[in-house]
Amino acid sequence: MAFPSTRRVVITGLGVVAPNGIGKCAFWEACLAGRSGIRHITQFDASFLSTRIAGEVPDFAPEALGLTPEECTQLDRNTQFAVAAANLALQDACLSKNLTEEERDQMGVYMGTAMASNEEAERVWKQLTADGAQPLRDRDEVPISSTFMLYHSPAAAIAIHHHLHGPCTALSTGCSAGADAIGQAFWAIQEGRASRMLAGGSDSAICSGGLNVFNVMGAMSTRNEAPERASRPYDAGRDGFVMAEGAGVLLLEDRNLALARGAHIYAELLTFASNINAYHMTSLPKDGMPLQQLLLQVLEEAGITPADLDYINSHGSSTPANEPAETTAYKAVFGEQAYHIPISATKSMIGHTQGAASAIEAVVTALAVDQQILPPTINQEERDPQCDLDYVPNVARRSSVQIALTHSSGFGGVNSALLLAKPEWVDAQLAGVR
Amino acid sequence: MHAIPSPANQDSVNHPQRRVVITGIGAVAPNGIGKEAYWKATCKGVSGIKPVQRFSTADLPVQVAGEITDFSLDGVIDRKLAKRTDRVTHFALVAIHEALADAKLVLQEENPRRVGAVIASTLGGVEYVLSEFAAMLRDGPRAMSAYTAIAWLQVANVGQTSIRYGIQGYSKAPVNDLAGGLDALGMAAGAIRRGAAEIIITGGSEAMIHPFTFLVLARKGHIMAGADPNAYRPFDCRAAGLVMAEGAGICILEEYEHARRRGAPIYGEIVGYGQTNDAHALASAPSDGKYYARALKQALREGNIRPDEVGYVSADGRALPGADQGEAEALRLTFGERLAALPVSIPRTATGHSYAAAGALDAITALLALQHGCIPPTLNCEELDPRYGLDVVRGEGRPFSRPVVLLGGRSTGGANVAVAIRKI
Repeated sequence: MAFPSTRRVVITGLGVVAPNGIGKCAFWEACLAGRSGIRHITQFDASFLSTRIAGEVPDFAPEALGLTPEECTQLDRNTQFAVAAANLALQDACLSKNLTEEERDQMGVYMGTAMASNEEAERVWKQLTADGAQPLRDRDEVPISSTFMLYHSPAAAIAIHHHLHGPCTALSTGCSAGADAIGQAFWAIQEGRASRMLAGGSDSAICSGGLNVFNVMGAMSTRNEAPERASRPYDAGRDGFVMAEGAGVLLLEDRNLALARGAHIYAELLTFASNINAYHMTSLPKDGMPLQQLLLQVLEEAGITPADLDYINSHGSSTPANEPAETTAYKAVFGEQAYHIPISATKSMIGHTQGAASAIEAVVTALAVDQQILPPTINQEERDPQCDLDYVPNVARRSSVQIALTHSSGFGGVNSALLLAKPEWVDAQLAGVR
Repeated sequence: MHAIPSPANQDSVNHPQRRVVITGIGAVAPNGIGKEAYWKATCKGVSGIKPVQRFSTADLPVQVAGEITDFSLDGVIDRKLAKRTDRVTHFALVAIHEALADAKLVLQEENPRRVGAVIASTLGGVEYVLSEFAAMLRDGPRAMSAYTAIAWLQVANVGQTSIRYGIQGYSKAPVNDLAGGLDALGMAAGAIRRGAAEIIITGGSEAMIHPFTFLVLARKGHIMAGADPNAYRPFDCRAAGLVMAEGAGICILEEYEHARRRGAPIYGEIVGYGQTNDAHALASAPSDGKYYARALKQALREGNIRPDEVGYVSADGRALPGADQGEAEALRLTFGERLAALPVSIPRTATGHSYAAAGALDAITALLALQHGCIPPTLNCEELDPRYGLDVVRGEGRPFSRPVVLLGGRSTGGANVAVAIRKI
């Protein structure tokens, strides 16, 4: 198990299914305009729950996104999001039609998901128990999707759709799952286990149990009267995260392959680092110590200083405890420089897409590096004195971005970070070293 | 000053020979809790598959399973934590407790940031969430426990492990259906190999014996319907599917030099890992063994293993004619003419298929087999189908002395995972 090469890994395709836009262009345009995708829940009657808002993906048309008729009927919504986002990423990379058999043998899929087919489980359980009124009994007329109880199906279904024969697995590390999948895929290419990987995350759990498990923890916003203003990371008025659904998939590619085919390179992956809190299943300690250690690890492994960091796409979940812990960690690690690094939270616009969140945030980070524009953190109205850094409030900003960090803190305590850079920056560094 | 972008690669340049060994094991299995009891039962072919005791199966399609009975949390976790976690995490924590003691590992003496956990599970705390969801339907949203999400999601196993033992390093919760546990071992070994951690608590845990899973998985043909405790018969002419089980298998993976420095007991080394995907359908493994063979060859190549060093293959044994055909074909593609003389066994016929725990338990079985020089038998394969051309170890265990065991696992949806373990 030695690594045969020191291959560089680049991002050459982006696919997004998000509450405020499907496809890279629509999504990015919405993010730059600061458009929220949070609305009143329409997918089920949420009137009995204390939270009745969420980031639903409106007008999701799987056929239009390349799913087969069988996939449209046999896959649960979460898996459909995953396949759709993967299709979009491959299209974006100009690889959807022309992969050879040899290339497909060298290409794999890693996907993160926290809730998998939970929505489907709820439907089937209710149908087999008459909404809980009767004991569980099989009823042949109740259809069961082929993905049900297959928590790895978002990854497997993408591999099946595109006949990809490389490594394929799912990760279920809560909100860090998408970043973990991307990080593991990055390593797989570095280690020569694959030449290309589709990697990201997906989730769809806007259903009564899916919401209520977090409601009873007091973790969710109840700002039901103003859905678009409910997700407000760093703002003094934040009162919990907003559940959302969606998927984000990136095409990671061995840089040599990308260069050989003249692919557009959004960014190069520099570092993946990950740790776990050993503190509590759902919260960071106040000083954000595990995040501090993670940030230090990223700087050290990449051989950069805080002054090199041009942008952070943060976890920013809009919970009272998360953002002060994050801010404290930034200040502890970056010192005075923390005030000069722009930080934005994508969850302010789309809510918390669970296992997809950190993957969608990686898409945003790649676009920020590519386009040299920072999307805003919206709903910044009243400053929380504990959160006094530059959160790119409300309005997108042009900025030079050579190196950008995205990090997430997952349910269960896993923290993961990905460091992205402009390929030209890496070339310059390598030239300098040599 | 800027370094070359990838520290891991730098690291692998600095430590080209970093090796990964297993220094502790813990087993919670239907035929034995604890490695001694588990090995005693497994090497003698004592089955743990019995009529289900936890609930009435009268109206269900399935009546038998590899169920954990006589299970105690005493001395491992207190009642408060037990109530806030699912059975799946109980199994994991008991197996971890055993494995850490077995490895003579004192975590207080280790750098917590260099110790991680990679534990696979398919359905997480399914019993906990279904019970709370039923309460919510019955009595309203406030009737659901605030601990539901914490107990349910697959990440609970590593989250609780981290809190309990204060470990802060690289930790993941892989999900790969029936092959999840074996995949976890490969993933954890890779992380140590590249320097992301020095010690990883890894394996799989599963507790999905529940009326709901029986209904759904039997309807979809993923598990067998019926009451026959001997019905799990891989490579048998009558093979018709698998029997579900529950349990946990945990291995302590450690960087070799680290293990040597502290004088740890060493069971063996993970020398190879391969993973490919059939990408055929969201169904059980296909009769085509092409991609599975590639995974097996990857693991052998990574470990620089000569075919004649392999003592036995711990096979997937899906026990469906198509999948069994595919596995036999993959083994033929991998070993060629040597296959006829290569022992193959599926010791988990004595426990049932414990999904994400299975691959990890198979690895534990392999380590104990290497230690005792005995290949545990495959049960219920009285009518071995000759067209597979396999030497399946049946009846009694068989002595062996070769240094390598090759483990294979396949999941619904096409993943093929191979792990090679070498005795040191």
